Amino acid sequence: MATAPLELRIENLSKTYTNGLKALQNVSLTIPRGMYGLLGPNGAGKSTLMRTIATLQEPDSGAIQLGDLDVLRQKDEVRKTLGYLPQEFGVYPKSSAEALLDYFAVLKGITARGDRKQVIEALLRQTNLWEARKQKLGGYSGGMRQRFGVAVALLGNPKLLIVDEPTAGLDPAERVRFLNLLSELGENSVVILSTHIVEDVSELCTRMAIIDKGRILLEAEPLRAVDELRGRIWKRVVEKSDLAALERQHAVISTRLLAGRTLVHVYSETAPTGFEPVEPDLEDVYFCTMNGHVANGAAVQTLTRTELRRLNGVAS
Amino acid sequence: MKVWKTFCFELAYQTRRRSTWLYFAAVLGLTLQVGTEAFLGNARTGGYFFNGPFTTAAVSVIGSMFALLVAAAIAGDAATRDMQTRMEPLLYTTPISKAAHLGGRFLGAFAMSALLLAAVPIGLIVAARLPGIEAELIAPFRPAVYLNAYTVCTLPNAFVTTAILFALAALTRRSIASYIGAAILFLLPTFGNEFIAKHLGKWELAQQLDPFGFTVMSALSRAWTPAQKGSQLLALEGILLTNRLLWLGIAVGVLALTYAGFRFAHHTPRTFMPRWLRRSRPAAALSPNEEQSTTPIAVPAVERRFGFGTRVRQMLVITRRSFREIVLSWGAIALAVVVLFLVAAGPELMEHIGIPLHPVTERILAHLAGPGDLPGFMAIFLMVFYAGEVIWRERDAGMSVIADATPVPDWVPFTGKLLGLTLVLVLLQALMMGGGLLTQIRLGHHDFEVGLYLIVLFGIYLSGYLLFTALAVAVHVIVNQKYVGHLVVILAYALTAYASDLGIEHNLLIYGSDPGWDYSDMSGFGPHLAPVLWFKLYWGGWALLFAVVAKLLWPRGTSRGMKERLRLGRGRVSTPARWSLAAAAGVIVLVGSFVFYNTNVLHAYAPSDDLTARRARYEQRHGRYDGVPQPRRTATSLHIELEPARGEADIRGTYDLVNKTAAPIDAIHLATAREVETDGIQFNRPFAPRLVDKQLGHRIYTLKEPLQPGDSLRMQFRVRFRPRGFTNGGVNDRVASNGTHFEGDWLPAIGYQPDRELSNAGERKLHGLPARPPLPRLEDARGRNDETRGERIAFEAVIGTAANETAVAPGTLRRTWRAQGRHYFHYATDTPIRPGFAIFSADYAVHRARWRDVDIEVLHHRGHPWNVERIVKGVQASLESFTKDLGPYPHQQIRLVEAPGSSIGLRSHPINIRFFEGFALLNSSTDDRNVDFPFAVVAHEVAHQWWGNQLTPANVEGAALLSESLSWYSAMNAVDQTYGPEHLGRFLDILREAYLHPRGRADVPLLRADDWFVGYRKGPFAMYALREYVGEKQVTLALRRLMDKHRNGTAPLPTTLDLYAELKAVTPEPLRYLLVDLFEVNTFWELSTKAATAEPASGGAWRVTLNVAAKKVAVNTEGAETVRPMNDLIEIGVFAAEGKPLYLRQHRIKPGQQTVTVTVPGKPARAGIDPRNILIDTVWRDNTVEVTTGK
Repeated sequence: MATAPLELRIENLSKTYTNGLKALQNVSLTIPRGMYGLLGPNGAGKSTLMRTIATLQEPDSGAIQLGDLDVLRQKDEVRKTLGYLPQEFGVYPKSSAEALLDYFAVLKGITARGDRKQVIEALLRQTNLWEARKQKLGGYSGGMRQRFGVAVALLGNPKLLIVDEPTAGLDPAERVRFLNLLSELGENSVVILSTHIVEDVSELCTRMAIIDKGRILLEAEPLRAVDELRGRIWKRVVEKSDLAALERQHAVISTRLLAGRTLVHVYSETAPTGFEPVEPDLEDVYFCTMNGHVANGAAVQTLTRTELRRLNGVAS
Repeated sequence: MKVWKTFCFELAYQTRRRSTWLYFAAVLGLTLQVGTEAFLGNARTGGYFFNGPFTTAAVSVIGSMFALLVAAAIAGDAATRDMQTRMEPLLYTTPISKAAHLGGRFLGAFAMSALLLAAVPIGLIVAARLPGIEAELIAPFRPAVYLNAYTVCTLPNAFVTTAILFALAALTRRSIASYIGAAILFLLPTFGNEFIAKHLGKWELAQQLDPFGFTVMSALSRAWTPAQKGSQLLALEGILLTNRLLWLGIAVGVLALTYAGFRFAHHTPRTFMPRWLRRSRPAAALSPNEEQSTTPIAVPAVERRFGFGTRVRQMLVITRRSFREIVLSWGAIALAVVVLFLVAAGPELMEHIGIPLHPVTERILAHLAGPGDLPGFMAIFLMVFYAGEVIWRERDAGMSVIADATPVPDWVPFTGKLLGLTLVLVLLQALMMGGGLLTQIRLGHHDFEVGLYLIVLFGIYLSGYLLFTALAVAVHVIVNQKYVGHLVVILAYALTAYASDLGIEHNLLIYGSDPGWDYSDMSGFGPHLAPVLWFKLYWGGWALLFAVVAKLLWPRGTSRGMKERLRLGRGRVSTPARWSLAAAAGVIVLVGSFVFYNTNVLHAYAPSDDLTARRARYEQRHGRYDGVPQPRRTATSLHIELEPARGEADIRGTYDLVNKTAAPIDAIHLATAREVETDGIQFNRPFAPRLVDKQLGHRIYTLKEPLQPGDSLRMQFRVRFRPRGFTNGGVNDRVASNGTHFEGDWLPAIGYQPDRELSNAGERKLHGLPARPPLPRLEDARGRNDETRGERIAFEAVIGTAANETAVAPGTLRRTWRAQGRHYFHYATDTPIRPGFAIFSADYAVHRARWRDVDIEVLHHRGHPWNVERIVKGVQASLESFTKDLGPYPHQQIRLVEAPGSSIGLRSHPINIRFFEGFALLNSSTDDRNVDFPFAVVAHEVAHQWWGNQLTPANVEGAALLSESLSWYSAMNAVDQTYGPEHLGRFLDILREAYLHPRGRADVPLLRADDWFVGYRKGPFAMYALREYVGEKQVTLALRRLMDKHRNGTAPLPTTLDLYAELKAVTPEPLRYLLVDLFEVNTFWELSTKAATAEPASGGAWRVTLNVAAKKVAVNTEGAETVRPMNDLIEIGVFAAEGKPLYLRQHRIKPGQQTVTVTVPGKPARAGIDPRNILIDTVWRDNTVEVTTGK
């Protein structure tokens, strides 16, 4: 069996809901092995994209290919290698974690009782649920429930792992642990992480895309994207009352309150007066992209085209 | 005001929902359908206004019951919406008061239900204006009628149901609770009406228990006259008032409980299961510094399999989970209720008017565990709710996103869930079987027919439930909206259950239906299983089709729109799906065609309307031959070949006919029977057929030479009974192995048969037939002179049957022989008989006895030996009593012959008295009332050998008094003579229980009696009263005179006027008033004792003072009551503690309250007026009271 390199290719995916909302507009992405971050504000279309990749939603048009598999047609085959942690999910409140995990293990094709026991124990220990394994899921806290979801998603060593806003309900320690766990998985699998928290991506993802209003605005390697911005982001602390005037003169990409005053980041090819240079981070990349300043857009476009050329070369 | 605001919001919220309008349309449609199909027919045959108060109220009540589902949705939603939408933290932290929140929500839901139910009056107003309804059935529009039903029925019902359902949902915080509550509320009236009222006879209790007033309407439908039904508004009084108050009180109480129990607080789900049943462990206390594993994730790589074996494993896991979820939740309650019902009510229900029955398995299955009984309802309700619950489980829990992405093909969860539901049904059936066996053990019955249990419970009943389950699952998948799905499933069920009321009768059109079946201890399933199997197979094809469609549309992922789901579904059509579709279509088409061939090609399919129309056509086409002079039969000779195994009979017969009229007869009219093929008509003189109407069953043969007065004619015919295949109603099983039983009406009758005409005034009108009274008037001379009724024939029959069977016909058994492996019997009468006869054949056990020179034979099923001794005793005592009182028994033998059938009813043919298996099961020895009921019933049937078979009443009003009432009167004498007056008193008490069933007092006087109640109850009571006043000897003398005048059956035939004349002759003048009250006027006495006190008098005597009330009323047929003057002789009785009479003497009693003082020789315990209940008094238990003694 000739296997194509494990990589997820999304081509011209579009989806319009019956209420007219354009959730996806001609989305094309290529996602290689490793952690892939999908960054965007709430309502950008992230979840629609994730659900579609997870075989749960039909697009209006477009194609998705996972290695050899046509995701939209060979759903059952894709599901055999899929792990999915949705943004929102419930559990059977009257089941215990162990029983429900066992149930899902069978659904995921782990039929040998001994194997199942072994896998379940490993997963419950890894997700720190072992002590609470006999407890009813109805009594779980948000974080515990989230970890349980992770355990379910990891059942059967998925080659494609889709995690939608996974860190939302986690406390800081849990979050770190969980992200570490994901990046380990990324060594062998395609892991797609959708989030609206920039740090989630900057810390772990080798590649990322920024999506808004159903369009991909940027596809890049986080470190390179940050590099590209070096020398173009400037900061200044101003009074709140001056902000409006400043916004008229400069391409403000973000503002943040700092001890009663306002810290302003602006984008500029050249040093604007009264501003200090600042070492850009991924958040600046995100806001530049989101704000779509023309100059910023050009930089992004360049980057994207370069990327695509390179990727197309690999594929052909 | 916050209540007002919440109320308005609730109302507005509900009106914006699409489902609300769907519900409205559903209630409207149902009202139209039920109104125009069932209630219009009732109004027509009952002869009252369709748009009158009765129909309006009855449909309103039924509307409230069917709107329960709507009420459950609205109340459940109003009570739990905050929880479901997770809004409660926002809402509960606002400064709204609990009263305002709950009050507003509840009132909004109540107002919504009440508004939706306005669809009922709207539907009825529309229905009354539809074209095609006879103008006589429509009264002028009266708004008061609708307002009355709305305020008395609809509004209270809406309040009560909304309150209870709202409370259930609010307190459990689960909307499913209000659905379960709705199911139970729906069951209450059905259960109350069918079991408590109709079966146990506890009408008053049933009417109170009924939250909707359904049983009240059921009682009114029996008690009200047509005039009342058409015009009398429902008055809030009596039982209706107490019922309304009781349930409004319960509703208010429940609301108060809700207020007390509801908390504006985060809800922690609780389970109702007892602690020891719960599998949960106490929550593990997670230490905050739980070791945070930092080792990298290492999920062991294990083998995963996706072969067929894995699929089966996965399916079973889903099955187990679905099953567990059901039986560990509310479903457990339903199952427990079934078991409790069977164990508690089983012995109670194994009875006939209070007389215990031997609990043979057939009875248990038919009376306890069938689809029409509580367990059957439970099965349907479990499926209605849990089909939805199981299909929606993942989505309700929010887990579908994860579960849908698992590598499992759609058929696995689909089949797994279906199997889970199936397991629940299997468990239910197993519980029913256990409950049935337990009931049998408790009643001391040890003949366990496990095989029969298995076939019926797990074969027939279970397959029916499974068909329904497949439909329910498919509906939920296709509709894809949980509560709308529930609604559609319930509507689908109602549509099948009430299809005939909606005008759909063909079983090929009613999902899951079949022609029905019978099981008899004698003949087993007979020919009934095959048609049931064919129909089940046909519907199985549909179920498979539904299943495949459901599988293709199986909800997975987030696709919502039907268009998208259809597109997806098309994409899922795989080879197995294609094959399944082909198989389903094949079964539907092939089996459907085969069934259709049987029901509509082999037989003319005849829905009930057609049968009515056919009777109308018979009259229109051939009615002109009514009264055309015809010869009389003098002899019938039959050669019958029975093929019990094939279910066929071939009868060759000969009639001897004589012209007893004064004019020549040139044409013979024959009326043939529908069930059989009649041919080979021959006469022994030249003839020609003039008209052969096979469809309506009328033939005319012209004689070339007319039959002169006094001349005789011999006619030959052949009648064949050959059921081919089956009809929509199943197979006619009159000829069956070990259970053949048919009557003489298969043979051609001579002349036009007025009995076949429609008699109901409304139906006659509908078919354009002239109005006529249902029965000829008492004074009708033609009825008296119609000699066909009194015809006497010499009868002879040779019957060939299966080698192991015994055939029975009237007359002496002259010879039996065996030929060609068959058993032949030759019977001939020694004395002419009335032509009503029956033929039997079965493998009978024969018990023989004698009374003087009369042979007594009881031919019974070998497994039913229980009542043989009582029957023989009854026959002997009856012959002894009746030959003395009424004259000789004209035959040399009398037989009681058992025939398949579960009813109690007996029929006294000349010589041979048929009893059904139900009678054989009567177990009077365990009746703690100590009444030999079988003895009395046998005496009644033997009495018919005189009343009916010798004295034949004219076919006019009052015939029931002459045959049935006089038979009961004679039977009472036999009971009295054998067992004594106390036993007779206890027996009469059983008969009096008929008063407990609601019944209007409006009626014709006894002399015109023609229905069951007057014939079998009021008539015998009147005769008993006369006996106690005038004396047994005098009454017997009158009856003997009547019998002697009419025993030979010649015209003029007797009517009640002849009886009345004889009774008058023996009644002394001072008691004539009683005769008038009992027979000429429909009179009721209202006697009661208010109080009785006693004080010691000298010499150990006591002086007893009774305060009694008395009234005598006459009630006409319209229900109008007139007080009759009275100065009646009525017994006053005083009894000692153990029931010994201390005083029993007649007093003159005037109307009103009065005091009677008597002195008695011992200490009194009870005293009262008419203590023996001799007079006709429907409330008879207040005649006597406890005596209070002064010091």
